[in-house]
Formats: sequence, C-alpha cells, structure tokens
Amino acid sequence: MSADLFRTERLTRRYHNDGREVPALTDVDLRIAPGARLGIVGESGSGKSTLVRLLAGLDRPTSGRVWFEGTQITALPERRRGFLRASVQMVFQDPRSSLNPRMRVGDIITEPLRSRLLRPQLDGLDHRTRLAEVLAAVDLEPDAADRYPHEFSGGQRQRIAIARALAPKPEVLIADEPVSALDVSVRAQVLNLLTDLVAAEGLSLIVVSHDLLVVRHLCDELAVMRAGRIVESGPTEQVYTHPSTEYTAALLAAIPRIRTGPGEPGASR
Amino acid sequence: MTLLEVCDLTVTFGRHRRPALDGVCFSLDAGCRLGVIGESGSGKTVTALAVMGLLPEYARVSGTVELAGHQITQLSESGLARLRGDVVSMVFQEPMTALDPTMRVGRQVAEVLRLHAGAESGPARAAVVRMLAEVGLSDPDRVADAYPHQLSGGQRQRVILAMALINAPDLVICDEPTTALDVTVQATVLAKLDEVLEASGAACLFISHDLAVVSQVCDQVVVMLDGRIVETGSVADLFANPQHPYTKGLVAAAQLDAATPGQRLPVVEDFYQPDAGAKR
Repeated sequence: MSADLFRTERLTRRYHNDGREVPALTDVDLRIAPGARLGIVGESGSGKSTLVRLLAGLDRPTSGRVWFEGTQITALPERRRGFLRASVQMVFQDPRSSLNPRMRVGDIITEPLRSRLLRPQLDGLDHRTRLAEVLAAVDLEPDAADRYPHEFSGGQRQRIAIARALAPKPEVLIADEPVSALDVSVRAQVLNLLTDLVAAEGLSLIVVSHDLLVVRHLCDELAVMRAGRIVESGPTEQVYTHPSTEYTAALLAAIPRIRTGPGEPGASR
Repeated sequence: MTLLEVCDLTVTFGRHRRPALDGVCFSLDAGCRLGVIGESGSGKTVTALAVMGLLPEYARVSGTVELAGHQITQLSESGLARLRGDVVSMVFQEPMTALDPTMRVGRQVAEVLRLHAGAESGPARAAVVRMLAEVGLSDPDRVADAYPHQLSGGQRQRVILAMALINAPDLVICDEPTTALDVTVQATVLAKLDEVLEASGAACLFISHDLAVVSQVCDQVVVMLDGRIVETGSVADLFANPQHPYTKGLVAAAQLDAATPGQRLPVVEDFYQPDAGAKR
C-alpha cells in the first residue's frame, strides 16, 4: 500500500453524446501526496472537471481505477463511500446554483452532517458547535445561519459554499473554478480565505481553473491538461516560469494583464 | 466629435431604494473606446441599458443621454428601435442566452440586417457569411447553418459580435463580453474585437469588472462605485497611478501575478484608511 492521498491508474472517462463517444479523460496516471496543494489547469473541455469529479467519487470512470488513501474507490458501492464523502469535499464555481435557494444557510452548511452515510464518520460532532465554527472560519456573522442564500452577495455565497465543505472536517478540499464567477475585488478575498483555511486546517487542496495565476497563487504543484490528458506537470513555479510545452506557454500568454505602458494602439493587445 | 454624452444621469428603481445611478457624467468621442469598471451592483450595466434606451418603464430617470444627436431619454419606443442595431448595438455576457436556441444563427444575424438595411434574403446571406468570416469564424457557411447549441462558447460569442457589427453601428456596447469564456478563448475574442472595431471605426463602451481586459481594449476608463463615477482617466494613467482608494484597491487586487504565491493578497479595504474618513 502506498502513502498517496490519491492515486489514479489509466483513468478514462468517455461520455456519450448524440450516439458519438466523446473521450473526456484518457489514461490519466496521477499521484497526489497528503498535504499537497495541486492545481489543475487547462482550457474548457480539457477534462479538468471530469478528473476531479472522479477523484471525489461523484462520477464513475469508463475504465481505470482511483485509490483514496490506499482504498480503491472505483468499485465501491455508494453505501460504502461514507468515508470518502466525509474526507473529500468540493466547492463549485457558481455559488448561485450550488446552494439550495429554499434552505436557510445554517441548514445548507449542516446538511452534510445529517447525511446517513457520513454520520458514522462524524460521531459526536455537535451540529450547532460545528456550524458556529465554520461560519467563523469563513468570516461570516453567526446570524447568517438564519438567512437564505439570495440575501448574500456572490463572494459571501462562495464563503457559504466553503463553510459547507468544511463542516464534515474533510482532509481534502477540491475547488472547481472557485473564483472565476467573482469580481476582481471579491476574488482576492476568497483566495486569501482559501490560503488561510488550508494552512489553519491542514487541508490538502486540489484547485481546478482555466486561470494559471489563480492556481499559481494557491498551489505548489501543477498539472496541465489538454484534450483529456495531462500534458505537463511539476512544481508550480517551474511550470510557470519555464513551461515545457507550447500549450502551457499559450495558456500563460492568454492571461490578461493590466497594460499601463503607453504602447501603440493594438501593440500589446 | 462627441458621439455619446451622458450628463447628470440618475436612475432609481422603486420608491425607497437608493439610486442605481447617481449623477453620472461622461462622454465618448466617435471611434474611441471607453471602459467602465466596477464591482457587481456598481451601476455598470444600468449605464449600458440607459444608453440603449432599455431601462424598464418603472425606472425613474433624470439627466440626459445624447447619442449621435438623439436624446435617448426622450425618444419613443419606435424611435429607439430604429437606433438599436443600427447606430448602437450591444454584446451581452452570456452568448447562450443572447441567441435564440431554435433558430439557425445565420438567420439570426440576417434578421438584424433585414430589419435595418432592408436587405433581401439572398444578398443578406452573402453579407452574413462575410461578416461571420470577418469575426474570425473559420467555416462561416457551416456556422451560418448551425444552431447555437452546436457551437462552442467562443464561436457563439463571435456570432454575437457579428450581429452587433453587421450594420456598422457608431457605437458597440460590450457588457462583460468575455467573462463566460476561458482565458485562451477570451484572448482570441478580445483580439478579434480589437481588430473589427479598428476596421469599422466604431466607438465602444466596454463594461467589465476585469481591469486587465479593459486595459487591453480601451483608451479611456471610468471607475464606478455605488452608482457614481469615482475616477476617470486614460487607461495608462489611471491604472499606473490610481487616485481614489477604491481604484487603488481594485488595481492592487487585480494584479495576481505581482503577489508572492501563498502570501496574503491586497484587498480593496486595505486602501481605505479609517482616520481619513473615507469609507465605503
């Protein structure tokens, strides 16, 4: 048995669309160490989200296998995945659609704790105490628990989504484009929050983004995906400063940067 | 020559709500590009809707919007309809919702042309295919026959761009045109927007929360906060030397690559000093 947090072997997922087979993920071999902060970048359709959904056990592969802390999760029936649900939590891109509008924030955050699957893993965890803890951890007022998601701004809603993910005391936080739906000013706040939480709670972090700068800020390791495969990986700073593929270089070049130099019109556009 | 002059524009929705726009003034010369930046709720989109004459009936509006010699706030609906798509056109954020899912995209682009230029459908088709090629769609004939769901996000946004440009308007309003796209597609769409604006000589009002994107497209920029313009200037000056604390904060927060990975990022609140009395 290995000491890997996650390990995948020839992980492959094909979707069916109009009778055609669309390969979303092809033969991905990946090892993630405990405590890692891994960023996964690539264009839309490169397989980033498919990969993390398979890691979190939200989808099943067409072929290949996934181990979480030495246990092969691919073949496990849902009723035996409770340990995975408690240990691996996800934050999604759009907090407008990932929070149930009919539930109060307190109920949204404690819902994972009430799950029959998770209960054995969370023995003795007091829901009220935990709710107060995670609300404080994401800098929301205690009375936020009694309100509904629509009463909050986009950045606050993403905090609620993060609080919900933290509630069952996970070991791994998987964030799929956590800030791409947010304003620039709010983005910095949520990135600071994620950085602090990962350090304070000792979490492993997997971040999916099309924006290399977001990933660079949060992660020390990087995997670059294209057309369902990992085309480049390594320490973030190395990939960022010396990309070894043209594809990664193109992703880097596409990041919009503030242009303040006088420059000719169109010169740096 | 001034194309668009907005003067003391105040817009209020509902009786007991603070104004969505509060005394907004700016002007835009023909062929120039003005960026409007600010966070959600700062009034960027309301400004765009006011220029298009698309504010809902229950909005209370004071001040003036003069576009190419027309007083937008005084015009009738039919007068406005003649201007829209012809003098002024708009590119929206979400290309999936801005296109009719049941209609081939070529027909949707042709409709704009037929309504305003009165073109016959035969010649219209040729003009549509030419326009689709111009916005960088490599297989314009096929795209013209496709339904929106058969196109990628980047392709759909180019179709929207073709619709906005086909009548050679004087002003194109872009409301977060690339926010829904990923960075590589965004880069190609922005480059194409730059190119087609340059070629057509149209002016552009470009709304975005993304300072970097604005800096790549625009010459001038206004910064909005809570329905007011707090700072205005050329892109080069304003981003290099912001004056208002809010602008300083935005510029600092936007420069992710200037921060050391893992270190705390500057946020807007850092730039408001409590003793200076400046408060959000």
